[in-house]
Amino acid sequence: MRVLALLAALALAAPAAAQFNINLNRLLDVGKNVQKATSEVDEKEEIEIGRDMAARLLGAAPLAADDALQRYVNHIGRWLALQTERPGLPWRFGVLDAPQLNAFATPGGHIFVTRGLVARMQNEAELAGVLAHEIAHVLRKHHLKAIQKAAQLELANTVIGTVARRDDASNRREKLLAAGSELFARGLDKEDELEADRLGVVIAARGGYDAYGLPAVLQTLQAMNPADSGLALMFKTHPSTAERLEALGTMQPTLDAYAGLPQLAQRFAGTVRR
Amino acid sequence: MRRLAALLLLAPLLGFAEPATLIRDTELRAAPATDAPVVAPLGVNAKVDALERKGGWTRVRAEGGTEGWVRMLVLRYAGTGEAKQGDSGIVQILNVARTGTSGTQVATGVRGLDAEQLANAKPNAAQLQKLQGYAASGDAATGFAASGKLEARKIDYPKVGG
Repeated sequence: MRVLALLAALALAAPAAAQFNINLNRLLDVGKNVQKATSEVDEKEEIEIGRDMAARLLGAAPLAADDALQRYVNHIGRWLALQTERPGLPWRFGVLDAPQLNAFATPGGHIFVTRGLVARMQNEAELAGVLAHEIAHVLRKHHLKAIQKAAQLELANTVIGTVARRDDASNRREKLLAAGSELFARGLDKEDELEADRLGVVIAARGGYDAYGLPAVLQTLQAMNPADSGLALMFKTHPSTAERLEALGTMQPTLDAYAGLPQLAQRFAGTVRR
Repeated sequence: MRRLAALLLLAPLLGFAEPATLIRDTELRAAPATDAPVVAPLGVNAKVDALERKGGWTRVRAEGGTEGWVRMLVLRYAGTGEAKQGDSGIVQILNVARTGTSGTQVATGVRGLDAEQLANAKPNAAQLQKLQGYAASGDAATGFAASGKLEARKIDYPKVGG
C-alpha cells in the first residue's frame, strides 16, 4: 500500500520533472532509496535513533538530581526488561525533572518517567506498571514504526518537491529524528497504547509485581482534574483513562491471578522524596 | 474510639474519600474476594465514595453509608477529586522557579515537557551521558528483585485484542 502511494506520487511528479529536464531514472532511483531508507532499520540504528531522541527529551527536561531515585528506576526497569523477549537491549531508565505527568519511550530502550508522575504513585508496583507499559512500546517498536511512516511521507514529499535534494544517510537520519521529536507531541495510534497497557500488565506480573499497578495509576489520573495543565500533553497523546481502564477489562483474569503479589510500598516510600 | 483508630490507620493511605460512579451492576462485598458474602447489590451509575484500594479491590461507602468492597475496575472517577478549583497551578510555579534559577538552562532552549517545549528542545549530550551512568546490570537488577522478594514468572502475552 505504501509502495503504491509512493509510485502514484512519483507518477504525478514525473511530467513536472520532465518539464524541468530532470532524468526520470534518477527520480525513480530516489524513490527506491526512500523505500529502502525507511523500511530497513536494523537494531543498531534503532538504538542510535532512540539515543538521539532521548538526548532531545533530556534537552527539554533534565534528569532529576537524585542519584538514589535514578538508580532505583534503573533497577526496576532492568529487572522488568529481563522478563521480555529483548533482554539484551541497552535499557536505560530516567526520572525527568518535570512537574508534568507523563512517561516516554524511545526506540532501542531509553525510557523516562516524569517526577510529577512518580510523585502521584503509591508504591513500586505502580512505578513498575508504568515502566512496563513503556517497555512494551520498545518491544513492539511502536515509535520506530510511526517514525518510519512519518519520515517516509516526508521523504516522498521531498522527492516531489525538490528532486535534486540530496538523499544521503545524514539527511535520512535528520528526517527520522525530526519525525521522532514530533511524535512525542502528537502521540502514537490508540491501538498501540492499548496494546502497551495489556503487555505492560503482563510484564509487571512476570517481574513478580502486583499486576494492578498500572490500572491503579490510571485510576489516580482519572481522579485528577482533567483541566490540570500537568496532564495536558499526556491526555492529548493517549486514549482517555476511562477507555484504557475499560479496555483492560479483558485482562481481568491475568490481573486477578497476580493481584496478590508484592507492591513494595515501603521500599518505594523510602526512595521517592516528595 | 474504635472508629477513630480505624480512621487513623487509613489516614496515610487515603487522605479523603474519592467520589466515583459504577460503570456496571455489581455487588458490594464484605471482603476483597469474589467468594466474600454480598453486603448489597449496586446498580450501574450508583455513586460511591472510594476509601481504600487493595489488589484489584476498592473499599467504598455507598449512598446510605453502607461500606464494602467492589472490583477496582468497575469504578469510574469523576475527575474532580483534586484541584477542584481548576488547575493545581503546580506546573506554572515550578516552571517559573526553574527559569528563575538557571540562566544557562534558559539559553539552551525552552525547557519543560509541554508540546511546544518538546518541539523546541535542543539535544543535551551531557545529560544523556549522565543517564548512561545510572544503568543497572542484569545481575544488579536480579539482586534488587530478590531483596524485594520479587519472583520472576512465566506468563504469556494476551492474544490480539484480548
